[in-house]
Amino acid sequence: MVEALRGHWESWVQQRLPASRVTTLTQRKIFIVPSKTAVGLLVLIALLFLLGINFQNSLVYIICFWLLSLLLLTIFYTWRNLAGLTITALGVEPCFAGEKVVLEMELTRPAHQPKYALELAWEGEDQVQVDLVTAQTLRVKLSHSTTGRGYFKPPRLRVATHFPTGLAVAWSYVTVDVRGVVYPAPIEKAFQPSGNAQRENVEDGREIAGGSNDFGGIRDYQQGDGSKRIHWAKYAQTGKLYTKTFVDYASHALWLEWDELPMPGIEVRLSHLCRKVLEFHQEQREYGLRIPGTLIEPGKGEAHKARCLQALALFGVQDA
Amino acid sequence: MHKQITYTGMIWLLAAQLVVMLPFVFDLPLWLIPVLLFAAGWRLRVLSGAALQPGNVTKALLIGLGIGGLVLSGLKFPSLDAMATLLLLGFAFKSLEVAQRRDAIVVIFIGYFLVALHFLYAQSITAALYGMVSMIVLTGALVGVQQSVAEFSAAQQVRFNLRLSVFMLLQCLPLMVVIFVFAPRLAPLWSLPMTTQQVKTGVADRMAPGDIEKLSQSDALAFRVTFKGRKPAQHELYWRGLVFNHFDGREWRQFEQDIDSQQVQSALLTNYRWQADAIKVQGEPIAYEVVYEKTGQPWLFTLTPAMEVDGEVLRGADYRVMARQALQAPFLLKAVSYPDSQRDLELAPELRQLALELPETGDARTRALAQQLWRETGTEQAYLDRVLARFRDQRFEYTLKPPTLGASDTIDAFLFESQRGFCSHYAGSFVFLMRAAGIPARVVVGYQGGEWNAAGEYLAIHQYDAHAWAEVWLTGQGWVRVDPTTVVAPSRTEQGLEAAMQAEGSFLADSMFSVRKIAWLNGIRQQLDTVQYGWRRWVLGYDGAEQAALLKSLLGTFSVQGVALLMGGLLAAIGLLWLVLLGMTPRREREALEHQLYRRFCAALAKRGVLREPGDAPGVFAAQAAEALPAVAGVIREFTQVYEGICYAPSADGQQATRRLKALLGQLK
Repeated sequence: MVEALRGHWESWVQQRLPASRVTTLTQRKIFIVPSKTAVGLLVLIALLFLLGINFQNSLVYIICFWLLSLLLLTIFYTWRNLAGLTITALGVEPCFAGEKVVLEMELTRPAHQPKYALELAWEGEDQVQVDLVTAQTLRVKLSHSTTGRGYFKPPRLRVATHFPTGLAVAWSYVTVDVRGVVYPAPIEKAFQPSGNAQRENVEDGREIAGGSNDFGGIRDYQQGDGSKRIHWAKYAQTGKLYTKTFVDYASHALWLEWDELPMPGIEVRLSHLCRKVLEFHQEQREYGLRIPGTLIEPGKGEAHKARCLQALALFGVQDA
Repeated sequence: MHKQITYTGMIWLLAAQLVVMLPFVFDLPLWLIPVLLFAAGWRLRVLSGAALQPGNVTKALLIGLGIGGLVLSGLKFPSLDAMATLLLLGFAFKSLEVAQRRDAIVVIFIGYFLVALHFLYAQSITAALYGMVSMIVLTGALVGVQQSVAEFSAAQQVRFNLRLSVFMLLQCLPLMVVIFVFAPRLAPLWSLPMTTQQVKTGVADRMAPGDIEKLSQSDALAFRVTFKGRKPAQHELYWRGLVFNHFDGREWRQFEQDIDSQQVQSALLTNYRWQADAIKVQGEPIAYEVVYEKTGQPWLFTLTPAMEVDGEVLRGADYRVMARQALQAPFLLKAVSYPDSQRDLELAPELRQLALELPETGDARTRALAQQLWRETGTEQAYLDRVLARFRDQRFEYTLKPPTLGASDTIDAFLFESQRGFCSHYAGSFVFLMRAAGIPARVVVGYQGGEWNAAGEYLAIHQYDAHAWAEVWLTGQGWVRVDPTTVVAPSRTEQGLEAAMQAEGSFLADSMFSVRKIAWLNGIRQQLDTVQYGWRRWVLGYDGAEQAALLKSLLGTFSVQGVALLMGGLLAAIGLLWLVLLGMTPRREREALEHQLYRRFCAALAKRGVLREPGDAPGVFAAQAAEALPAVAGVIREFTQVYEGICYAPSADGQQATRRLKALLGQLK
């Protein structure tokens, strides 16, 4: 019964307050009821009425009725403190699963209508109280915890106010029509293939994931170069010591390949690839990503990283 | 959310507490204020980190001290005083532990209650205005504790909260008045014991030499009267209050046993009850309304005999009118009197006996004088005239500063030695002389005269109008009023005490700077008094009867539909007024021209396939758009530049800039 009612309520709210990028809280969208404090005031008013009756005291009656009027008036005031507020969803910053996703919004009030003590809250999550007094617009960030990767659709946001007296509460629900991307949580430590060094130099110039250095060229031996890095073949040819150099990663793209990963499990693989993307990005390498259904040509930079991470985040996710 | 109250909120709260508690010091123990200041000081130190929150032991100790103080202050339990003091004590202590918004709201609500409670002690316009101030400060505090993020400075915030509070309370007034006028007035459900240390003013229930002179030094208001028809002549205005039958050689009392008002009340209900058929109604009726000030006593003052009285009162066989309870608030009475009526043509034996009794011994010279005069005259009327003539012919003086008369034989001392006295001396000795000759007589105490307020068309009777006169029962005439004072000082009843005391200069001698003595100030005082009277009559005196009368005059015949229609209409009117006041009528927000143009610019670019994200700053968006649409890159850049110029560095010639925007927009389309 309760469930049915709740479902009914939910669908009604959804119909009444559809998701939108920009929401202006108009009359139809605002709910208002007296608060718990108002119940306390009503008890006081009843007491005063009794006092007025028993002592037949006009002034006590006046205080009693004045407070009653204040209670009624405050409903209008509280309502007005919320009315006209525009909430624009600016976007959701991407984050990794398990971290807090942040929704950025812009609150705009009508001119000449300062708004006080506006409360924005996600149930059981972040909440914030702001004033819009001198500024007409204000950017507000609100965070929400995440569990898995994929799209993040911000849940219904409760925008409320008790201002000015706390005797009434006006509120509305805002469903912002933006979605964010939650990347897979990067695995702690990237898997290092146990393959030998020979595999580094494969014919097609590609390197498997887990490769580290790339052969760049040779130069004259200098004191202190490790024996492993001496180009013995050249020494055999020339009798002079040369050292192999490993430079210019950019010239050679690295590939992050789904199929090359030895571990089972989609999520583990995604987490692993996520870690590698972060590592390569950190090291400013050029890298490409190949996972089933998606191929991202090698590249570097923030945008490239974001593209790769997004591909990982949305792997197998139905576009909602 | 932010449930803690801020430092500013706390200051608000303490200020409100102080404002609310202050007026109580006039009626309740004074030490409550230091208690509040102490608690407030501690709380502020806690807030600023200089002290620790008091522990439970400390709190218990403080509360114990407070209760101890309450017990020692000698208040009677249960009484309103004790309850109010207890509430105030809790109110003061509560500030010690206010930390959360919820606590603050409890304090504010108790504050509202205390504002109302104070009106049980004082109901003057001043008290009401002060109550209004308290309401404003309390409401300001209510707003103050809701604010958690202070964008203003403290001073700005105080101003803002006060202004909001005043606005809201003013906007509440119309609705409050409607509810006040139309809300049902019920009879008291139960009666609460009132104050214990009540201040009693006005005429007392006994009369010793000097009592009424003291009263005459007070210019406090006793009551106000509006006459429905003509106003009787000044010398006819004898406002009967109490009747004194018993004399013990020094003091006049109501009955032989020294009884209190409760016993008088029960007497008035039984053997001393008013008998309507004892009166032979004659002459013109005088209809009037009296609003009595709060006196702490049940005595009411009317013209004799009051035949019709409207209200919860008792009437006695001696034609007195008495309230059922001591007056703790202004009291309205409507009455019709027939002063020319004949009263008690047949005098009941017990009343006769009461009106004849004298002390067994004492005042021998007076008794001898009475015997002698009676022998010389022989009839009641002649004897009476003779006694009055004696007052007139001998060197009797009317004075506010009579000499003291000693402990016994006071009548002798007055009649034969000092011969200087006030109304109580003349009335007392006259009644003594009558009784000594076997003529029933009694002392009546009340007020005589009054000050006519032409602006308000009412009569104001002050304490200095207090007066004592005599009533004599004459065969064939019944009770006849005799005022021996008029024989000595005729101006007393014609022009009032002030005129009678002009030679002596003792009128209100103690209040040197009384505004009464300065003509133009006195005019202002009368105007103010008119306002006060309106307040008494229409605000404080608005009760169930008034309400019924008003409804009847508003609706003609009383009907449910009529009331519903009236209420509905009034509420609708108030609702409309509110909407206008609050600016809730839908009003289109006008957007500045440059913003309109920028929106059109974005729309034009969107048509070309470049969408602006809501979060994009104009500059960022312009760079993107220019890159995407190299053909119009120049236009995009310039438009954005001009737009940003208007927004962030407004110039004198904004018109030219917007014209340029329009031109550029034209190129885009």
